[in-house]
Amino acid sequence: MSATIRNGQIEVVAVTKTYHPGAPPAVDNLDLRIDHGSYCCLLGPSGCGKTTILRMIAGHETPTEGDILIGGRNVTNLPPVERGTAMMFQSYALFPHRSVLDNVAFALKMRGVSRADRNARARELLQKVHLEAFANRLPAQLSGGQQQRVALARALITNPRVLLLDEPLSALDEYLRLRMRGELRRVQRELGITFIHVTHTQLEAIAVADTVVVMAQGKIEQAASARDIFLAPRNAYVTRFIGGQNVISGAVERVSGATATAVTGTGARIELPVAELRVQPGEQIFGSLRRDRIRVRRQDAGPPPRDLINALSGEVHAIENQGSYVKVTIDAGDGEEFVANVLDEDFFLDPIDIGGRVVATWAARDVRLLEDRRSQPSGAVVAAA
Amino acid sequence: MKISPVLSSWLQIGPMALILVVFFGLPMLVVVVVSFFDFDHMSIVPAFILDNYDDLFSSDVTLRLYLSSIKFALIVWAITLLIGFTVAYFLVFHVQSLLIKIGLFLLCSVPFWTSNIIRMISWIPFLGRNGIFNQVLIATHVTSKPLEFLLFSDFAVIVAYVHLFTLFMVVPIFNAMARIDTRLIEAAKDAGASRYAVLREIVLPLSKSGIALGTIFVVTQVMGDFFVVKVMSGGQSASVVSALSNQIQELQYPPAAASAVILVIVVMLMVAGILRVVDVRKELAS
Repeated sequence: MSATIRNGQIEVVAVTKTYHPGAPPAVDNLDLRIDHGSYCCLLGPSGCGKTTILRMIAGHETPTEGDILIGGRNVTNLPPVERGTAMMFQSYALFPHRSVLDNVAFALKMRGVSRADRNARARELLQKVHLEAFANRLPAQLSGGQQQRVALARALITNPRVLLLDEPLSALDEYLRLRMRGELRRVQRELGITFIHVTHTQLEAIAVADTVVVMAQGKIEQAASARDIFLAPRNAYVTRFIGGQNVISGAVERVSGATATAVTGTGARIELPVAELRVQPGEQIFGSLRRDRIRVRRQDAGPPPRDLINALSGEVHAIENQGSYVKVTIDAGDGEEFVANVLDEDFFLDPIDIGGRVVATWAARDVRLLEDRRSQPSGAVVAAA
Repeated sequence: MKISPVLSSWLQIGPMALILVVFFGLPMLVVVVVSFFDFDHMSIVPAFILDNYDDLFSSDVTLRLYLSSIKFALIVWAITLLIGFTVAYFLVFHVQSLLIKIGLFLLCSVPFWTSNIIRMISWIPFLGRNGIFNQVLIATHVTSKPLEFLLFSDFAVIVAYVHLFTLFMVVPIFNAMARIDTRLIEAAKDAGASRYAVLREIVLPLSKSGIALGTIFVVTQVMGDFFVVKVMSGGQSASVVSALSNQIQELQYPPAAASAVILVIVVMLMVAGILRVVDVRKELAS
């Protein structure tokens, strides 16, 4: 094996990738640093450029502009084999005409390792993924989960310093997906190498990753720890995409100390922490509100209580039982999805039906200010933070 | 009305079975029967004699004819395989735009817009002693005298065969290659495979079914041809079928039938050999 420095730190520097001249770039002037030995998830809807980044790190695409560094070395123009990376492809791309053993040993064969040596090493890896009994089968004779483990063994046989996983769990059923994502995390810990995992599933990213990078339209919306992505999304896009919190917004009415009071589109009053930020009256500000910190109660007959603060009234649009909690979607009349996750025991004390009118209330401390700003047509212009 | 499952099965295979029996089974049976008949100058005489086969196997012309046909088949197979594989590879893996891919593919089929005979005969003014090719060679001072081997030779026969049959190699190989997941090739490159290794380890094995089908098309057509050999060799080369057609012109139907039976058996053995190497059914199913 090559004597490269086993440093799997990745730096993506001002990388742009354009497929067709004139078309919007798939990746747009993007900077990203991933520490050695960390588990990073690139998360975003399809077409956001996450797979393109992965393929550029792997060397299967060349950036139109910018550089890619692995372990401090510029690898932008190196072929995949000289990068010390290995890729696990979506739906695995196992060679259908070769046995499981030959699939796993393939990279060593390409490096000129003798048959005996490469088979011994491949068997060792198959043992690690508990597939030694299947060494002589063809990939088509294995289940999806087994194929995934073969793909993992095949990618790891060259001792890569970076493993790139393109939607590694999307071809599995739900039960296996949950099991295998824990398995991936365990393997990553054991090997101590960098994993970069592309997915469009929010919970998958949050479950496995140290760092989650949320992308949209070729740009990074937020790169942070899984916990921060979930609890402290930066803007309305990330908040909506991750889905653990609601986006609430309103026009600033007054500011007192670190708290701004805003009026929502439907006339409700909400409080948002603005800290030392200067906001102008009339300016539209956005906040995120944790779905599991919202209380929901029936609204008594008569007009909604206008004087309440941090409350929102509306009609129950959908109810989904999630086992330990119930997801209540409330239509507040402003088009923004508003969801309350109500603890199962609270919900079933007095179950609410679809169509029923409810009031949702929360405490101001569960709201965080988002970076989005929109000045009112006549309002003062404030630079975005 | 309810149709029993047995009846519905028979109804489904009926039309195809009828065509096979009437247009393939019966004629074949007639040929086999006639191959045992006796004959004189004017007529064939129903009988059961083995003389026709006896003559066939005792004549050393038979072996020469088969060797000649097999030689042509092998050379043409090798050339069409090389061209067919290259063209298919280029179309599948190098041409990115689907529109250009379809356009080039149609271009391959342009020669088929005219009849085989015209396509073949058009080589004569090109390759002839005073043909275009020789004129160009002389005009550019590559040679001083016209090249004689170009026309009415084995060379001309092979040129015509390759021209006629290459597409039969391109199409099945193209089909097999088009079904290769491009991620397999990336996975191989990711594992450090060179371009040549990708070809050898991935593309070639996964194109096997197409190569086998193309081989069957080309080999059976060359083995069954008499016209190309006759015209392009100017009567200097012969094939199994050209000898057979001479016998038919001389109204010697029983020996011609015996010769046809043996040819069918030989070609069937060749096809069986190809199918033994590549299990086309398994390859097509996967």
